[in-house]
Amino acid sequence: MGGSRRANLRLLLFCAPALIVYFVFKLIPAVSGIGYAMTDWNGLSQDYSFVLFDNFIAVFSDTYFWRSVWFTLKYVAVMVVVANVIALLLAVAIESRRRAKGVYRTIFYMPNMISMVIGGYMWMFIFTQVLYYMADNWGLTFLDHSWIGDPHYSFIAIIIVASWSTVGYLMIIYMAALQGVPADLLEAAQLAGANSRQCFFRVTLPMILPAVTICIFWTLNSGFQVFDVIYALTGGGPGRATQSVAMNIYEEAFRGNIRYGYATAKSTILFVIVMVITLIQLKVMKSREAEL
Amino acid sequence: MKKLLSLLLALCMVFALAACGSESTPAETEGAEPPAESTEPVSEEPVEAELTIMMSFPQFMDQWETYCRQFEAKMLEEENIDLTINLEMPSSGDYESVLQTRLTGDDAPDLFTLHSNNIQTYYEAGHLTDLTNEELAGKIYPDVAAMVTYNDMLLGVPIESQAWGPLYNKAIFEECGLEVPNTLDELRNVVEVLEANGYTPFMLAFQEQWVPQLMTALTLGGKVSGEVPDWVDRMNAGEGSYSEMEEIFDVIDLIMQHGTDRAMETGAEAGAAAFANGEAAMFVQGTWASGTIMSTNPDMQLGVFALPVNNNEDCTKINLSVSTTLAVHPSSDQMDLALKFANYVLDDEDSSALFESCSFNPLATCHTYEPASWVADANVYVTEGRSYKDLVLPSAVTDEQGRLLQEYYVGSVTKDDIITRLDEVYAQAIAG
Repeated sequence: MGGSRRANLRLLLFCAPALIVYFVFKLIPAVSGIGYAMTDWNGLSQDYSFVLFDNFIAVFSDTYFWRSVWFTLKYVAVMVVVANVIALLLAVAIESRRRAKGVYRTIFYMPNMISMVIGGYMWMFIFTQVLYYMADNWGLTFLDHSWIGDPHYSFIAIIIVASWSTVGYLMIIYMAALQGVPADLLEAAQLAGANSRQCFFRVTLPMILPAVTICIFWTLNSGFQVFDVIYALTGGGPGRATQSVAMNIYEEAFRGNIRYGYATAKSTILFVIVMVITLIQLKVMKSREAEL
Repeated sequence: MKKLLSLLLALCMVFALAACGSESTPAETEGAEPPAESTEPVSEEPVEAELTIMMSFPQFMDQWETYCRQFEAKMLEEENIDLTINLEMPSSGDYESVLQTRLTGDDAPDLFTLHSNNIQTYYEAGHLTDLTNEELAGKIYPDVAAMVTYNDMLLGVPIESQAWGPLYNKAIFEECGLEVPNTLDELRNVVEVLEANGYTPFMLAFQEQWVPQLMTALTLGGKVSGEVPDWVDRMNAGEGSYSEMEEIFDVIDLIMQHGTDRAMETGAEAGAAAFANGEAAMFVQGTWASGTIMSTNPDMQLGVFALPVNNNEDCTKINLSVSTTLAVHPSSDQMDLALKFANYVLDDEDSSALFESCSFNPLATCHTYEPASWVADANVYVTEGRSYKDLVLPSAVTDEQGRLLQEYYVGSVTKDDIITRLDEVYAQAIAG
């Protein structure tokens, strides 16, 4: 009895630093935010009044907000597929190599270590200067698009930059999972006459499903909160064509009318949307995992 | 066991850090005493003090750093205070959000800059100190002082005042034998002649929404001051509409149709550099871009003209405004020093050099320097009475104008959409 209690206590102690930081910087602001969502605070004055659910009702007729929600949904859908497929491909390709695994792993992971804002500005330079230079001087006219100004192309640009920086992270998770696939299972499958594609889809993929769950969960979650790439790359423009929900909330809180309470109401709604979607995703994926 | 040890160590470090944090607070408050001690003999050890100043123009970082150092030296010599000034300059895009966070987080800087349009809001929120009785108040030109005064109180030290309009390249205009236009027809003619001579008339740099926004600032300003002086009042009362201003799109269309390519890919700085290199003859930007332009091309012959809105010359005027204003926060624990610094900004001996090096316009009696050629250009309009006070619109509306013009440029909204949308946003802004 005493031993297990001590063990629990010790485990708790190990978690304490992370828990305390999470509690102070995430949980408390999140909960108190719901309180602010019911006020008309403008983020500046010292007094404000409670307006109860007025903010939430106003959100429902806010076309710009719902347009940004729609844009974010599109972004998340594309990112979940693109980033995970590329990450898995890279992981498999690198794992199947005999030599220099470490080198490739480092190279593909590197963009993840660069701050997204800096990466965004780097890519902005590429999209606004380098590509045009190539188009003008080397005759690569297929590059001559309005990469920032045309909403269609700027969406592609955003996906490129976002995948560039997240793929490395997902790749590492997939690689770890791939290393955990027992070699004897694969060997048995090969002996039974399975070709390499069958091996991958029938043996490897089911074995790494837990990693797929984590990666999709992570891309969903971070996708809904996307801010820095878009902020650095297009600033949400032209107009609001590439504005994500997070940017819409930021704009409401810090620019223009500075409606802090209203912005908090919006972020509460975003929180609910993200929670519902990730809960569904976890439930679906977990049940799949259990079958195997 | 090893792990437990390392964990304990980590915890110790956290507590040690926390302890450092709490110790520094009394150290700062000690600094509040110097004013009382300053009368004592100079042989005493200098008293340490700290001032935090936040400013919104990183492009003038060097000039203000130097000025702060001068002030530190002056304080050490005159008051025997070993002053350290922490000068913070967040990028202008983020400035307001950073400032707001600091003000609401009880971490207000001793002095900070704000746009003069926001003086009323900030004053009512209790963030501004009345400077009416300070020495500096008597030096500011009355027209300028009026723009930083609210309820008969002088609430800020004006720093940047602008008399501005679109910029033009004098060399190109001269080469084509062109005069500065006074009406829309003359501007159309200018555009035609420039294109006939192989020049692109307008530099377009629309990546950041505040740059296209300048077109609305200038056209609305001209139109309102020349023909509909009560428009802003009526808008604020909820009785006006942007449809009265439809005419402004004549000149906006002209600019957009005769500008450089890839406008959405060009930022304000890149645009200024390209303009300096002669890629276009005119640039709807303000005189604040002169820094970038002159450093890109020191031989640039830069001029300023008033943007015509229509064929009524009364509407062709220069925009006169005070933008950046320095305020003292009432909660400053170094009030005396903060006020001294505010006064020092308009110091009789040193202020001129500072304002000249930042190419700010002279705005107080202590400013005795020759202004730059483009400043002089604009001042000609002002002395002729052809200027108006910058329109004060709700900042949500100003923001929206810029965004809608970006969308207008890429063709995703029409003129009518813009008018409807701006009326909506205006209604929302005055209701909130």
